[in-house]
Amino acid sequence: MTTSRKHDAGGLPGDFAIWIFIFAELLVFGVFFLAYAFSRANNVELFNESQLHLNRIAGAANTVVLLTSSYFVVRAVAAIRADNARRCGHWLLSAIGMGSVFLVIKMFEFGEKFSAGISLSTNTFFMFYLSLTFFHFMHVILGIVILAAVLLKARSGGYSAANHTGVETGASYWHMVDLVWLILFPLVYVIH
Amino acid sequence: MSETFTKSMARNIYLGGSVFFFLLFLALSFDTLGALPKRDNRQNITPQVALGKKVWEENNCLGCHTLLGEGAYFAPELGNVYTRFGGSKEAIMGFIASRPVEGIPGRRSMPQFNLSNEELEAVAEFLKYTSEINAANWPPNVQG
Amino acid sequence: MQYSSQAVAKPYFIAAIGLFIGQILFGLIIGTQYVIGDFLFPEIPFNVARMVHTNLLIVWLLFGFMGAAYYLVPEEAERELFSPKLAIAMFWIFLVAGALTIVGYLAVPYATLAAATGNDLLPTMGREFLEQPTITKIGIVVVALAFLYNIGMTIITGRKTVINIVLLTGLTGLAVFFLFSFYNPINLVLDKMFWWWVVHLWVEGVWELIMGAILAFVLIRLTGVDREVIEKWLYVIIAMALITGIIGTGHHYYWIGTPEYWQWWGSIFSALEPIPFFMMTVFAFTMVNRRRKEHPNKAATLWALGCAVMAFLGAGVWGFLHTLAPVNFYTHGSQITAAHGHMAFYGAYVLIVITMISYAWPHLHHKAPAANGRAQLFEMWSFWIMTISIVFITLFLTGAGILQVYLQRVSDTPLPFMVVQDKIALFYWLRLWTGVIFFVGLCLYVYSFFAKDNKSLASS
Repeated sequence: MTTSRKHDAGGLPGDFAIWIFIFAELLVFGVFFLAYAFSRANNVELFNESQLHLNRIAGAANTVVLLTSSYFVVRAVAAIRADNARRCGHWLLSAIGMGSVFLVIKMFEFGEKFSAGISLSTNTFFMFYLSLTFFHFMHVILGIVILAAVLLKARSGGYSAANHTGVETGASYWHMVDLVWLILFPLVYVIH
Repeated sequence: MSETFTKSMARNIYLGGSVFFFLLFLALSFDTLGALPKRDNRQNITPQVALGKKVWEENNCLGCHTLLGEGAYFAPELGNVYTRFGGSKEAIMGFIASRPVEGIPGRRSMPQFNLSNEELEAVAEFLKYTSEINAANWPPNVQG
Repeated sequence: MQYSSQAVAKPYFIAAIGLFIGQILFGLIIGTQYVIGDFLFPEIPFNVARMVHTNLLIVWLLFGFMGAAYYLVPEEAERELFSPKLAIAMFWIFLVAGALTIVGYLAVPYATLAAATGNDLLPTMGREFLEQPTITKIGIVVVALAFLYNIGMTIITGRKTVINIVLLTGLTGLAVFFLFSFYNPINLVLDKMFWWWVVHLWVEGVWELIMGAILAFVLIRLTGVDREVIEKWLYVIIAMALITGIIGTGHHYYWIGTPEYWQWWGSIFSALEPIPFFMMTVFAFTMVNRRRKEHPNKAATLWALGCAVMAFLGAGVWGFLHTLAPVNFYTHGSQITAAHGHMAFYGAYVLIVITMISYAWPHLHHKAPAANGRAQLFEMWSFWIMTISIVFITLFLTGAGILQVYLQRVSDTPLPFMVVQDKIALFYWLRLWTGVIFFVGLCLYVYSFFAKDNKSLASS
């Protein structure tokens, strides 16, 4: 079995099982985004007014942070394809670091909102804002856990150029988390 | 489609996925517990309401009626019966107390539970308290 | 049958079918009371008969699950059951406790039963499906713990397969979430909120693990498809079931005083709940199509495929029908709910238990892989009669529900509950007669256990 080159044949990288999970997650987020759009269409003023209270700078910063982390993950996959497990580990660690930065910025943002007395029950906009961002927040945590598991295995020499499905699996999940944010950020923070 | 589809990865997704979503469920439930005091009319829970709930349960009222839409569908919704009966506890008490022991020929009839006056008042108070829970405007109209 | 201790499953299966008959008889009684209001009044009021109907359902399904576990776990673990004696002892305790509870329901007024069993000390009674006296609930916990110990020890000291691990997880979850039945706060909203932790997290959570494990076990035996393939899909399906089902609890939190964001969370996740059921249907048919042998037990294959399809229709499609909050606003607590409940329970849980019985019984009773052809024929007839009946019961209740919702909740001049009930009585009559046909199917099913083949009929 030529596991290392299968992505050239147009197959999905990583384990197929993670893709079932990714599809399910994208479906949930997709429906959530549609629900947001539908709700917004019925309450444009409320949404526009409430949106002004969001911290766009923090959101934009987090977009850059996640994109960077995704880039690091790409480099990690490239490193293991070149059979360089050590470098792969470094890139993974950097990606995890960026993921943690995302969490810190996000927690700062949540803290800001909570201290202003905003909760899920404040209004429909904040219900969506908190639901979507918290749901995504948990995905970042899960993504970090997955990358950490991949990192541990990479460090103990579990991957090689011939066999690195695990790295691709973790990378696929992380890109999904990033992708969701790339839709979430403009949709909830920016589009007015 | 990828050639790799391992059992261990399927297991990880099962374990990871269920833990993840259960934690999310706990987080939402926790938030709900915090939001409930504004909605669940707890300030009106008196010893009388507590007795009323006990009477309600120990006569298995839910075996025929729904309460906020949950229960059996054999008899009317009672979450809003206080409103339907014109905000009158006496009307509720009178209805329960006057059920014929042998029923009504050919028709559904509520059993005669032989409740004491104290119990009748407590049940009525419990139903009043229930009608004041913020149930997101359910039921759609007074008929329940 | 590879291990002699698997035989302890037999009494469990017999009890399950016996209680199933009782459940349907009481179903017919309440079906009659829907149209002839004073039927058996005041001797057996509706609330009592309904409580017997639903409690018997739960108890016989539990008997079925336990029997299935006792049959399946030794074979999967490749060793004898840890303690067959304990299993038999628990059988009698559970049966006697169950019977006493039912007798209590029927013999004395519910309030008297509550007083006699000390409901004052720890009030847990009088809530839907959890009507059992507190002492019975404690008994259920004891039986469940002994059962888990027995099964758990067998698995821990034997071969661990995906099937028996998933089954054990499901059964443990069943026991754990049942503990919430002891939490009964005076605050009605809290009461209802955690009541669903038992009911929803059972039927749309851990019970699906049990169902998946049993289905996978039977499919491996019937089709000869590689265990690796089946176990992989089992994981994926139950993963999807839990991913959608846990937050899906939110579809019960729309109108009971819980915050309104549940209308979104509940709608979104429960809208996806049909997916695992659909996967299960595709999975079952794919495995049967890819079968590597022709198993002589055709009836068991029919039950298994029927289970997959009916679970999808009942739990998936009929669940989706009224799960979105804007729809549920009108259908909540109506006959639509009843329609969904009947088909979902039949499709997912009645059929999975019968599938297991159908597969295991020939091994347990005849020391053969399959019953004789004539017995199987009766089984298949009973499958079709019961299944078609439940489809029509569901359709009639759906018809009743649509009219009820319109007349009582949607129209410009909403009518009172009892007026509407009179107007839709035709549907209740149709449901009742279909219920009678269901009972005929059930009798045929019971008869199939005693059916001799043509040869021995001719020789006698």
